[in-house]
Amino acid sequence: MRKLHNYLGLYLLTFVWLFSASGLILNHPAWSAAQFWKVREETTAQRAIIVPSATGDIELAAGLMTQLGIVGEIGEMKRSSKGDAFEFQVVRPGRVFRVEARIDSARVRVTQIRLNAWGVFDALHKFTGVSLDAPARTRDWALTKVWSLAMDALALGLMILIVSGLFLWYRFPVKRVPGLIALGAGIACCAFFLFGLGTLFG
Amino acid sequence: MPPRPPRAVFKAFYRWTRDLHLYLGLFVSPFVLVYAVSAIQFNHTLMPWGGVSNAEVAREERVVRVVVSDSKNSLEIARQVRQQIDVRGEIGYVRRKAGSREVRFPIETPGHVTTVDVDLSAGTATIQQRSTGVWDGLTYLHKMPGPHNATVRGNWLVTRFWGWTADVAVYLILFLTASGVYLWTVLRADRRTGMAFLGAGLLSFVAIIVAIVA
Repeated sequence: MRKLHNYLGLYLLTFVWLFSASGLILNHPAWSAAQFWKVREETTAQRAIIVPSATGDIELAAGLMTQLGIVGEIGEMKRSSKGDAFEFQVVRPGRVFRVEARIDSARVRVTQIRLNAWGVFDALHKFTGVSLDAPARTRDWALTKVWSLAMDALALGLMILIVSGLFLWYRFPVKRVPGLIALGAGIACCAFFLFGLGTLFG
Repeated sequence: MPPRPPRAVFKAFYRWTRDLHLYLGLFVSPFVLVYAVSAIQFNHTLMPWGGVSNAEVAREERVVRVVVSDSKNSLEIARQVRQQIDVRGEIGYVRRKAGSREVRFPIETPGHVTTVDVDLSAGTATIQQRSTGVWDGLTYLHKMPGPHNATVRGNWLVTRFWGWTADVAVYLILFLTASGVYLWTVLRADRRTGMAFLGAGLLSFVAIIVAIVA
């Protein structure tokens, strides 16, 4: 059990550091590290395209992305009511592409936004490809799926570290009482926020 | 008093680090569990057992009279109303169209939302309270305080306290990683295998990041 705790902790070390540091930055928008959007680099280019024969919006976006050499996770999509204009966004950590396509004239305008390392950090923390607010959205980029698997692995790994840590603690009778106090304090604090606030003030 | 021999100092440092790793790890583990479980929820848009739609119960809709001085600062209006209707929680955001005399805002606590619609002309506030469930409460705590609506965030002291608690949890986790690495290096038998796991983790981390970002 000690080996499991040690080796798993060592394997997950860099992932824990990433999510810890990016979590801190997300919670402190006034920090200079969080001001990455203000120093973004934005470039725009226009070019002709061959309009892909596609039935749905995702197919159309994917076809345009292939032509334009853009890879990433497709975000918001918007088609005009007449069907002559189509806009969509493609996201990958550190980069955002806004594609405005004129289907009638077979031309696109692509705005590329590049963010600095802090922007990459920020995006990696949240890059799941899905959203609780839009449950119908699915992941369409293979690397988004890889990263989301990594996030799952980290979450499960942390739970295993907790369980193995509890096991390792309980093996030492002399440490049980002070350990119980520490654990109890943590549980009480968490429970106050998760359950207590609604009960007291809801 | 003569200086303590290095071995005794090393032993004392090791014991202190080991005990701090243990007890601080125990203390922070419920917080880590909150973040880990909610991370899986975010990753899979999971709201178990029906989540919000099943847990949502419109307890009541009530209309109360409020006395509010109009202001360009919509948050200030929301604060005045929150105090008068005696509902406590974090004002999530404030919505008011330009020139409108109607203001809308939610008051949130983990697992509960109170939506307030204020009619400044009529001097009334329509209040609707609903429970969103413990799973929604978990994701709410994970996101708070967060980068969004930064100008209104922290308008309730308890939310600010949670923000500080979240910071402390992160710093404790960083300490646990540092102390954990130290405790591992002391164990000679585990060094080689540990280096392999550390290297494998670093390699997979770098490989994925480079593939996504490059």
